[in-house]
Amino acid sequence: MSFHIEAITVLLNGLQQGAIYILLAVGLSIILGTLKFVNFAHGALYLIGTYAGLLIALEVNLTSGQLQAWGFGQLGLGLGYIPALLIVPFVVFVVGLAMERWVVEPFKNRPDTDQILVTFGLAIIVQELFRAFFGSSSLPFSQPSWAQGPPQVPFLAAIPISSWRYYVIGITAVLVLIVYLLVEFTDFGLVVRAGTRDPEMVELLGIRLSRPYIVVFGIGAALAGVAGVVGGPLNPVNPTIGNEILVPAFLTVVIGGVGSIAGAVLGGVLFGVTQAVLVATYSAWAQVGLYAIAAIVLLVRPQGLLGEAEVAP
Amino acid sequence: MGTNGGQIDRRDVIKAAGAAGTAGLVGLAGCSGGGGGGGGESEYPELGNYPIEGDTATFGFNVPQSGPYASEGEDELRAYELAVDHLNNGGGWVDSQFDDLSGDGVLDYQIDSVSGDTATDADTARQSASRMIQRDEVIMVTGGSSSAVAIAVQELCQRENTPFMACLTHSNDTTGQNCVRYGFREMFNAYMTGQALAPVLTDEYGDDLQFYQLYADYSWGQTVQESMNQFLTEAGWEEVDSVATPLGTSDYSSYLSEAANSGADVLLLDHYGLDGATSVSQAVDAGLDEDMELVVPLYNRPMAEAAGAAIEGVFGTVAWDSQIDNTPSQEFLQAFQDEYDRIPSGPAQLAYGQTLQYAAAAERAGTFYPPEVIRQLEDYEYDNVGMGPETMRGCDHQAQRDVPVVRGLPESEQAEGQYFEIINVTGRDELGYACDAGPAGECELGEYGDE
Amino acid sequence: MSDEPAAAADGETGSSFADTVGIWMPRGDELRVMTATAVVLAVFPFVFSRMPVVSDLLQGYQSLATLILIWGIFALGFDLLLGYTGLLSFGHAAFWGGAAYAAGVFSQHVSGSPILMVLAGTVFAVLLAWFLGFLSLRRGGIYFAILTLAFAQMMFYMSSSPLAFITGGENGFTGVETAELFGLFPLESELPLVLETLLGTWLYAFVAVIALLCVALGYRILHSPYGMVFRAIRENEQRAEFVGLNVWRYRLMSFIISGFFAGVAGSLFVIHGTYVPLSSLYWTTSGEVVIMTVLGGTGSLFGPVVGAGVYLYVENIVSGGHPFEFVAPFWHLILGLVFVVTIWVFPRGIWGFFRDVRDYVTGGED
Repeated sequence: MSFHIEAITVLLNGLQQGAIYILLAVGLSIILGTLKFVNFAHGALYLIGTYAGLLIALEVNLTSGQLQAWGFGQLGLGLGYIPALLIVPFVVFVVGLAMERWVVEPFKNRPDTDQILVTFGLAIIVQELFRAFFGSSSLPFSQPSWAQGPPQVPFLAAIPISSWRYYVIGITAVLVLIVYLLVEFTDFGLVVRAGTRDPEMVELLGIRLSRPYIVVFGIGAALAGVAGVVGGPLNPVNPTIGNEILVPAFLTVVIGGVGSIAGAVLGGVLFGVTQAVLVATYSAWAQVGLYAIAAIVLLVRPQGLLGEAEVAP
Repeated sequence: MGTNGGQIDRRDVIKAAGAAGTAGLVGLAGCSGGGGGGGGESEYPELGNYPIEGDTATFGFNVPQSGPYASEGEDELRAYELAVDHLNNGGGWVDSQFDDLSGDGVLDYQIDSVSGDTATDADTARQSASRMIQRDEVIMVTGGSSSAVAIAVQELCQRENTPFMACLTHSNDTTGQNCVRYGFREMFNAYMTGQALAPVLTDEYGDDLQFYQLYADYSWGQTVQESMNQFLTEAGWEEVDSVATPLGTSDYSSYLSEAANSGADVLLLDHYGLDGATSVSQAVDAGLDEDMELVVPLYNRPMAEAAGAAIEGVFGTVAWDSQIDNTPSQEFLQAFQDEYDRIPSGPAQLAYGQTLQYAAAAERAGTFYPPEVIRQLEDYEYDNVGMGPETMRGCDHQAQRDVPVVRGLPESEQAEGQYFEIINVTGRDELGYACDAGPAGECELGEYGDE
Repeated sequence: MSDEPAAAADGETGSSFADTVGIWMPRGDELRVMTATAVVLAVFPFVFSRMPVVSDLLQGYQSLATLILIWGIFALGFDLLLGYTGLLSFGHAAFWGGAAYAAGVFSQHVSGSPILMVLAGTVFAVLLAWFLGFLSLRRGGIYFAILTLAFAQMMFYMSSSPLAFITGGENGFTGVETAELFGLFPLESELPLVLETLLGTWLYAFVAVIALLCVALGYRILHSPYGMVFRAIRENEQRAEFVGLNVWRYRLMSFIISGFFAGVAGSLFVIHGTYVPLSSLYWTTSGEVVIMTVLGGTGSLFGPVVGAGVYLYVENIVSGGHPFEFVAPFWHLILGLVFVVTIWVFPRGIWGFFRDVRDYVTGGED
């Protein structure tokens, strides 16, 4: 097969893989930048998004877990993918608000390590709750029938990538653009950005930061939820997916630069494409490469590729 | 390696000494019950968990209840529990196929069981097995569904002098370079899958084709890759490339794209369990099936169910299937359905068969003393587990048996519990290898424990 | 508290001679602490797995008793970093698993002597800790946690695939060949006489002796000028810097020390299991030691050991059903809940909680 088809395949695979990282990293990054809160439970929000998406979009047969034991062998609304994509962000947004109110607030003035620890613990609790109710075995989250197989467009049809993956890239691009515009060009964004730079001054000017902050957290959570819905059909769904995606997502944030949306995008693309290129060339090194890049970036440029000077201690 | 010098069982001695020591030291009356030396006098020395204290013999069921092979593990556990029920109360093969078994326990012992979750992880599995052996004093351990796990656990069982009846493990190494005296495998291996599958594939798809392999990067996937390569190359095909994927990979798209762009005619997906269902679904989603033929060398019912429409036309081998038309198979199907209202998978038949096989060997030996039970299993010939006449070969503890080759059905023809059709059942005479050849050539079984 | 760092700095530069002479002398309560530890270590396996009524209630068994000590050493060392210097590492699996592989490979190619294996694994872990600490400590807080995590994950993926020819990849390392202790005693065999009743096997005795030495070492470190500096850094990094301490160097030292303990424990782990699973390098292993340490109580010598015991007990016994059938499937959930409650309400963990209770009862002197 011709070289350019192969190159485009690798690039698209990388972008698609990167897109999921980006959706998670943008949320993590704006939360870390504004609230200075380290959220190790961000993967749990992704997990909630995936299960919510699955149960809204399809009907699934549970084979284990408490719900099955209680007689809910078949579960789910079966409304389809579009409703799931529209409803889930709101669900996870609300979860995010609750989390901001009852977890972030009480831990705001405690050390970073306590924030990491408590959210790490919460991540385990959420994962295990899903395991208890829905069982440990994976549930199939099939791609929508209208997005299976390569797109039937002259050139793209020759590329062995399913249509759903193009949608993932597209949806991510649109959402990230919206968040970017929101932060850069609205009053809300102005307050948030000012709060990132110098929260004391903003408060002195008589602007209460707690309200925009809770919204920031909600938006970050909603993005993780969307990542769950679009990323769900790419993987089998089980309770551990949240914590598995957490590590690369965090690395994306720190190599991109905390608080920088563009940085998160750059980091995600870099990760995704590196991984795809390595799989195509030296596949044994595919995962190692990811972490090697992260380590090198952090050692050479500790604030991240597009990070601004010192943000966190 | 620190094997036990004396042939006396450490734990029982310690336990007895513990009771005595307490009595002496603290003046506490020994409360460990009147059990003392166990039920009845035994003619053999203590070894492993023999002799059994009390009147219950405990089996340890070590299966994956989480991780990529969890679905297989759940079904195995159902079959194990069914086997225990039949051993104690009669029913199923105990009544009809195993003349050695009475249906009223084994050797005057009632059968009890403990189960553990291996999480498809060798370390967890070993911890769980060692708890069963040390604390629950199980007389036999069984389980499987990942060869890395099975190999790690059977090595532990050899050290602890506790028989291990391997359930689903398909790597050549299990009865090859990692074989042990205390482990027995009913399942066939990757080598035999290669032998059974190669002629079917060349018949179906033609000669002189090029193939590409993606394989799970551990003992099982590695030996499947090796064996498929060996037999397809001998049949005149050519391997373009083979690429390892980490166990538990959830998104194969990059690997699959590479395979698609390689120009090969056939793609072998050497993935099992959930990984297999995922990789074959993703291959179909990416449109690979339009230009390439997909083959999944080893699959089973839960996998085919999870893969759904993607399994259409995909060739592979299965451990056993309910569609196999002989008396034992149909009896097992019936018994399993009566109990659980569902159709058993191949791993379930293995689990059920291996448990009864062990119990029958103990009955024939007239004791649970492990070396005697092992000698009863070695070179034993049987025809009662639904796969035709078989021999549990003494030189490597590998069952010599038939291998069913199947092809996935289109979604429109799939029905509850029926996802593939049986193309043929390759006879055992066309399969396998001599005791000094193939994987068996690397096998050193180790000691019985009574030398 | 404020004069301690200065005194420590003094000891660092001036009186190293006096330190060398006095290093073998017991300090403070050391004798009492050591004796108590030795007694607990001596009766633990008996009570846990053999004592008539109690062991039936506890449902313990010998090999778990050994495993608890091994993880206890790991957690103890981890707490020297988290509890005393205030650094949260999410990459300690690198030292634990790295030492396990090093000891395993050493046993296959050089010598299976348990003592030499521990030595080999520990040396490897210390060198690795020095190298990774040097790189990771360039930034504090969350960056430190993530950098250590990234390096450890890198090692995990290295051994899973590119280095699989040494490590066995996903199959784990199966070539461990442990020889007899001192060339005489197989580790699996029983101890003579009453020791057999108390301790069980030579393996446990070996691990227990090392655990005792580790506790002694930990105690020494905490009651040395070094330990004071560690605490000073945790309390107020800037102030420590102002009084002239090289904070970075002390942090590196505390990282290496905790790597040392992880190395000892990792080497014992491979001797205990005669097998190295790939998952010993995975980040969940780092997470486990974090949970054990916090659960037991950071900033105390014995808290983390208790945490390790509780964690492993729940993981291996509660999860196994009988007599915990009703909660068995939820063991991990229970641990998660207890962990979060601990951080939220009892930041000093189980150990701290009991100390508070004791102080409350006795009127408190802390």
